[in-house]
Amino acid sequence: MMNFLMLSCKKATELIEKKSLFKLTLAEKVQLRMHISVCDACKDFEKQSGMLDTAIRYHYVKRDASEVPQTENKPLKKKIISKLK
Amino acid sequence: MREVLFFDQKSISLCYSNCLESSKMESKRTSEIIKDWVELYSDNLYSWALYKTSSKETAEDLVQETFLAAVQSFDKFEAKSNPKTWLFAILNNKIGDFFRTSFRSPIEDNQGILDRMFDKDSHWRADEKPQEWTNDAENLLDNSEFLITLNDCMHRLPENWRVAIHLKFLEEKKGELICQELQITPTNFWQILHRSKLQLRKCLEMNWFNE
Repeated sequence: MMNFLMLSCKKATELIEKKSLFKLTLAEKVQLRMHISVCDACKDFEKQSGMLDTAIRYHYVKRDASEVPQTENKPLKKKIISKLK
Repeated sequence: MREVLFFDQKSISLCYSNCLESSKMESKRTSEIIKDWVELYSDNLYSWALYKTSSKETAEDLVQETFLAAVQSFDKFEAKSNPKTWLFAILNNKIGDFFRTSFRSPIEDNQGILDRMFDKDSHWRADEKPQEWTNDAENLLDNSEFLITLNDCMHRLPENWRVAIHLKFLEEKKGELICQELQITPTNFWQILHRSKLQLRKCLEMNWFNE
């Protein structure tokens, strides 16, 4: 029983990552909550992990195409037009 | 009777050559329209693809494929919709395909980051224990310097890990679906994500949060 409840920090941080994309099983949920309630380091990690996800999502995904630095590429334009003939 | 038959054949052959002519005209018109789109949008598309893939060659290939695909499926384009939006949708599909094919499974046997962070009992090493970040963590997204650091740290990750992170967020798909398309198990996938998160976090901590 103790083993079941005593998650290692490595396992706990794995579950934190898993949770961001997959459903945890009930046992995993309980284990993770128990661990976080006694482990400040993993509690901070969970918070920071969520912040990083938000930043990545914003930076790489949700950003609008018009906001990214614009680069002109004339040779590419020419190349495509010649292929369309 | 013979006359009717003759007439029929003639009209069939007439129609055939007409149709051929009009389809030729049609395709000529299509390529003219697409050429205009190349002039108007290829730089926008290229900039976006470059931003997403960080590779000049890849971005060029993807934009070129986008226009070729646009020619082929031009009949699916509805005149009412915005060509730029349509082209971006094609390009984004191509970017998704690019990340899916560049993801190589199985997972590399890279224990490095785990050993660096955790001791033999799988608990945090004393000097790696997460603590509250000292540097201001508020309003991160408005901070362009932070975004540059994030970008640098993303690019220091092993390629496959970076690709995994892209796939996690790219199309906001359910985890199971992403894994199905990559033909790997969910466990495999979130273990890669776990390692990349640890490494990315470490990099940002050194270069930003606790600088």
